[in-house]
Amino acid sequence: MVLAYKLIPHLLAWAGIMLVLVRGFAGRRKFAAIAGSIGFAAGAAGTLVLLQTLKGDTPFAVIKILLGGGFLFFLVISVVALYRSSERSASAPAGRRERLANSGICAVSAASVSGIAAGAVCACCFTGFQNIFALSLFLAAAAAIMAILILVMENLLPKAFVVSPSGLAAAVSALLLFSSSSLPRLDLFAPLTMKVMKFTHDFVHQFFESMLIPDHMFFTSATWNFIGLLFGNGVGFWGGLFIWFAPMVLVIAALAFEQIPPVAHIRQGAQRRKLMAAAVRARRLRLIVPMCAAIISGGAVYESNFPSVEYWDPKPLIVSANPAGEIIIPRKGEVDLEDGNLHKFLYKQGGKEARFFILMPPSGELTVDLDACAICKPDGYGQAEGTVICYYCKTLIPLETVGKPGGCNPVPMPFTVKGDGVHIDGVSLINTWSSTVQSTARIKGGGK
Amino acid sequence: MAANIIETGGLTRSYGDICALKPLDLLVAEGEWLSVMGHSGSGKSTLLNIMGGLDRPSAGSLRVGTEDLLALTEDGLARFRREYVGIIFQQHHLVPYLSAVENVMLAQYFHSVPDEAEARSALERVGLGHRLQNRPGELSGGEQQRVCIARAIINSPKLLLGDEPTGNLDHKSTLMVMELLKELRAEERFTVIMVTHNQEVAAWGDRTIYLDDGVLVREERNK
Repeated sequence: MVLAYKLIPHLLAWAGIMLVLVRGFAGRRKFAAIAGSIGFAAGAAGTLVLLQTLKGDTPFAVIKILLGGGFLFFLVISVVALYRSSERSASAPAGRRERLANSGICAVSAASVSGIAAGAVCACCFTGFQNIFALSLFLAAAAAIMAILILVMENLLPKAFVVSPSGLAAAVSALLLFSSSSLPRLDLFAPLTMKVMKFTHDFVHQFFESMLIPDHMFFTSATWNFIGLLFGNGVGFWGGLFIWFAPMVLVIAALAFEQIPPVAHIRQGAQRRKLMAAAVRARRLRLIVPMCAAIISGGAVYESNFPSVEYWDPKPLIVSANPAGEIIIPRKGEVDLEDGNLHKFLYKQGGKEARFFILMPPSGELTVDLDACAICKPDGYGQAEGTVICYYCKTLIPLETVGKPGGCNPVPMPFTVKGDGVHIDGVSLINTWSSTVQSTARIKGGGK
Repeated sequence: MAANIIETGGLTRSYGDICALKPLDLLVAEGEWLSVMGHSGSGKSTLLNIMGGLDRPSAGSLRVGTEDLLALTEDGLARFRREYVGIIFQQHHLVPYLSAVENVMLAQYFHSVPDEAEARSALERVGLGHRLQNRPGELSGGEQQRVCIARAIINSPKLLLGDEPTGNLDHKSTLMVMELLKELRAEERFTVIMVTHNQEVAAWGDRTIYLDDGVLVREERNK
């Protein structure tokens, strides 16, 4: 029962994919159905094997790359579709393209790849399932039954309901994204928003750096209120939405602005208008599939666990210095400094205090840094998905660059690693913290 | 000899116990102008409505062009009316709040897509180039009927049906409308079936049939 319940949304997405494939390759519907079903079975079985042999996130990363690649391919198709719609008339090469798009090879290839992707996503529901042979058989049978049902149902659809090649790509892409978005580890929208946010932040920083503009000195707080819009979480979300829907909008625009066949040479007015009306109607019908695909893509965004990033933000542990003024933190004491997570500490001395963290990045070398940078207010850092994030300006900093000075990077502190743990000089920690915090508070509001 | 555009066999229409049209066998040649005469209640309009796809017969067969009207679905009948038939009514049935050109464009809209230039041209053909923007209330009876003719022919029908189109017109306007129809028929080569009470109007046709109580009682060739 649980198995069936998990499968329902994915099999429905598969049915939708099969429907547009069968209608899109109208002359090759059986080829498309068979190739798609075989692809689904292969994709599901392959993924189940991957899930058993490769531990961790690797199988999911492989499938995400496949889905992301599919999305990029769809983006290319949408641009080509828009370019083609701007052509003045249907020329001979365009006719050849149509024939190629309707060829058996194209139908089988598209159906197979779509099937593999759909099967792979479907199989990801069953992590930890032991009997992969039985499960593969079950999934293959379910896909095949669904394909047969769709072949029967497709006959009932009106003939006027046509699926253009770009509409087909839109629908397949949207349904795959819808199917994958329900699985957190295959969700593409949340990582996309993160990438957009990081790109925007990096771009703005690089821009100011390349222009040698001393940002927090040069601009007033009011100006930063506007520039700061680029640093909010909304940038990631809206930018992600823009990229997510861009190919869909391009396909819809391409179909909406598609030239209708020339009718000026037809002398009889009624006949001319009838052909024109038929062309306009066909164009409207071709718009149905990408419109539905856009709605399904919206559903995928809704399903996505955005914002998926839960920052790792431990409560600072209070530490003290020994009589020699050294703070000693054992490598594996109250916290394991080598677990790859960011560990925060708070050191107090004579009414002053300093916050810092210790982290072992993928390079394997410990780093000790202030929980503040040289630019922003000392709101501190959190950790998420291979980065640390500045809570003040939301800049994402790759773990590889943590420990290096400059920009929004946390200010690195000198330290030594001895047998009993990490040694940090308490006085220099307090002094560095104080000077850093003072420098970021030179203008009203503190830093930017 | 021209092929038949209409073939009926045992065409019957009953409304409950009342038989408006008794089994009728009729052939109409392509391009022919057929006048239908008879008293009120003789079945003229019933016959016209059935031929135009506005009504369905109770029994019999009816072929118009290549279409078997009894086999058509409602959608099929609507398409048949849209593409095959133009109708002129005695009461004009123009939309009162639309201008003359808009009334013609309305027929284009239901057929396919509106084309104002073509609608203007059609009104100019029926001599109303100067009355394009006038509403039906601002036109005389004869002018309104000419708008109806423009509306009926705008979609190039193969069959033009007239249900007493001159019934409300004076003699001068009647002659003008009939002259116009004759010219248009010569140009467009459509078939005309016109129901009328007026012997003089019926004489414009190639042939006249007489109905009485739903039965074809007489048929004559006009000179």
